[in-house]
Amino acid sequence: MASAPELSGFENVHRELVERMAAELTPVRRVWPVSTRLALWILLEAAVLLLWIRHGYRSDLTEQLRNPWYLLGVVGFAAAALIAAARALRAAIPGSESSRLGLILMLALAAGSALLLFHEPVDEQAAISTFIGRGIPCATGTLILAAIPWLAMLWAIRRGAPLRAAAEGGLAGAAAMLFSFALMRLACPLDERLHLLVWHLMPALIGTALSACVGAVILRRRRPR
Amino acid sequence: MLMARVQDGDRESCRLLFDDVGPMVMSFLRRRIADRSELEDVYQDAMLALFQARHTYQPSRPLEPWLFAIARNVAADHAGRYWRRVRFEQLTDRIPESASPEQPQPEPSLRDAMARLPEPQREAFAMLKLEGMTVEQAAARAGTSVGALKVRAHRAYEALKKIIRE
Repeated sequence: MASAPELSGFENVHRELVERMAAELTPVRRVWPVSTRLALWILLEAAVLLLWIRHGYRSDLTEQLRNPWYLLGVVGFAAAALIAAARALRAAIPGSESSRLGLILMLALAAGSALLLFHEPVDEQAAISTFIGRGIPCATGTLILAAIPWLAMLWAIRRGAPLRAAAEGGLAGAAAMLFSFALMRLACPLDERLHLLVWHLMPALIGTALSACVGAVILRRRRPR
Repeated sequence: MLMARVQDGDRESCRLLFDDVGPMVMSFLRRRIADRSELEDVYQDAMLALFQARHTYQPSRPLEPWLFAIARNVAADHAGRYWRRVRFEQLTDRIPESASPEQPQPEPSLRDAMARLPEPQREAFAMLKLEGMTVEQAAARAGTSVGALKVRAHRAYEALKKIIRE
């Protein structure tokens, strides 16, 4: 029986509550550690990558991989995606949220990799219809490639106890969308600045923002309160 | 490793654990909440939140950061609701007289009055008075104790009386 001085005046409330919780207690399946869940998510992304490569990749990929700017851009986005995924999974376990350093590193990697896109040339001759015609498949591809990893990440977060629903939804979106951006760079042969900014980066950013909105709704219901 | 046994469904460990953490949670909340009835509500919410989130605790990690992260979140939610309510009350205090005083003020409908209640109070009132549930049923649906639900319903009645008198 609890009789601590801190509970003075609330003993009955406390006792009633504890007895109710004890009566309602059922065994629960413990959430897997963050490292295990992150490893599974990386495996899922690797499977998406393999499927994507089987589906087709840019013909000059081996040549491009020798280009440090291109390689830095792809690796930068993929690394930012992995940091976002790790943060999202950690944030869903109360008390184990990551430090701000990880967030700063993730933002710096994503911003730095996005800045590298300005290194690409601009095609001023391209007609607007060609620009749109070439762009729509890339925007669609970015969203389709992100769909399954995003759903998997949201599910993994929901298994935990998300305390900041919108932020965790945004991180889930960032993880899936940034990785998808990196994968699309392996497939799309167009290294043109406006094409990459409008049809690759913008869908990824919009997808991340939408994910924050979806997270605010569906993860909020899973918050312990 | 009480929490690990609670996760496995051991009722006695559950009693021991929550008797153990209850004073810590109360002490944490007392530093943040002055009003006694509010403190009771938030304490119950925090304890239930810990219970609901028990599957997220990793036995290899210390209990305190997990416990206080959840309690802090519940207290922050409560503070957010409190300040929204205070802001609302300040705003309504400054509502000017009707633009055309000769016209009679329309009676506020119950729906309008209820829309001005905080969510937990509105829910408690609706379940008890509109849906005709028993206090026990309403408490179970709201995920809170019978005592806390009664408090919410009482506050809802008081607030509604005040709104309708205005």
